[in-house]
Amino acid sequence: MDAYERNQAALFERLLKPHMVRLYRFAYRLTGSQPHAEDLYQDVLTKVFDRLDDLAAIEDPGPWLRRVLYNQFIDKQRQYARRRLVDVAEGDLPEQSVQALAGHSDTAAEAENLGDIAALEAALERLSDEHRIVLLLHDVEGYKLEEIQELIDVPIGTVKSRLHRARDRLRGFLQESGTFSRAPAC
Amino acid sequence: MNSDEPNKRPDDYLDEAALKRHLKAYGARPVPGGSDEFFERSMRQAVLGGARRARRRVWLRGFGTAIAASLALFAVTLMLMKDPQTSIPSVTMELAEPQTVNLVFASATVLRDATLTVTLPEGVDLAGFEGEREVTWMTSLQPGKNVLPLSLVASSAQGGEVLATLVHEDDDRTFRLRVTVI
Repeated sequence: MDAYERNQAALFERLLKPHMVRLYRFAYRLTGSQPHAEDLYQDVLTKVFDRLDDLAAIEDPGPWLRRVLYNQFIDKQRQYARRRLVDVAEGDLPEQSVQALAGHSDTAAEAENLGDIAALEAALERLSDEHRIVLLLHDVEGYKLEEIQELIDVPIGTVKSRLHRARDRLRGFLQESGTFSRAPAC
Repeated sequence: MNSDEPNKRPDDYLDEAALKRHLKAYGARPVPGGSDEFFERSMRQAVLGGARRARRRVWLRGFGTAIAASLALFAVTLMLMKDPQTSIPSVTMELAEPQTVNLVFASATVLRDATLTVTLPEGVDLAGFEGEREVTWMTSLQPGKNVLPLSLVASSAQGGEVLATLVHEDDDRTFRLRVTVI
């Protein structure tokens, strides 16, 4: 690379680095698959590098990057089609996954049952894309309603109703599977 | 507590608050992939690929496409006059002063995946590609006029002919632009 290209590369890395992890997590949530998430992420990086001037002009690139990724996912949905979940025995999981569920905090303790995790993922898979994406962004990844509205370009009322509906449906799927039961009346 | 379900925790009922807690806990788990090695590799790939694409694209602002078998016209902007002796379009440039020459290609149809190669004489460079005598890229053509701006810089007083060769399927056309440096 010549000097100009090296400068461009350094600028790109500086602008992108603070957002890489969150952007990849977003790619994973959309695709549900590591290979597809990596493909989607790589495609977006390639696209963003070609628009380095735009990236450099933005004060907070995070929302812009996620928007580019979301649009890429929508445009190429067939290419990044979600995989079907498969059941994995606890013994087959990487050790770090098991340890992460060892109850280090109250929330981790609640989710320590690996069977519950698999059932949750299976239930999420049954949601439609529009419900699943809103639910994952808000309740799993912690995005604010306004951030989601800007990202997927729908009115905030629509975001709220999709979120409410997604939770209802997810709850129903989980209760069907018996993973989390309603407390019986005493 | 219902004795038929001894394994269920007393508070393990799925109200909205509990669901949100489960989802938040799910979100706290690491996702597969996203290693440091992956991030470095993907950055590298984007940059190296981008450098290659930029070389093909540096003059393409405003240029939508390329050329077709039906191309019949090769014209230049108003600032250039045809050489009366040879009828080859010509441009006069000052040494070391960048000058944009707009090549206008007309096409009757949409043509995809055409190849455009610009060949430069010694002493005349494309801005950003100094020292490269031949630059090639893939593009496509829209019906009507398609403008290719070439940012030229003369590094010597030699001048010469710039060639633009367009290839689409089995057809190719070469167009000449005479460059005089003062």
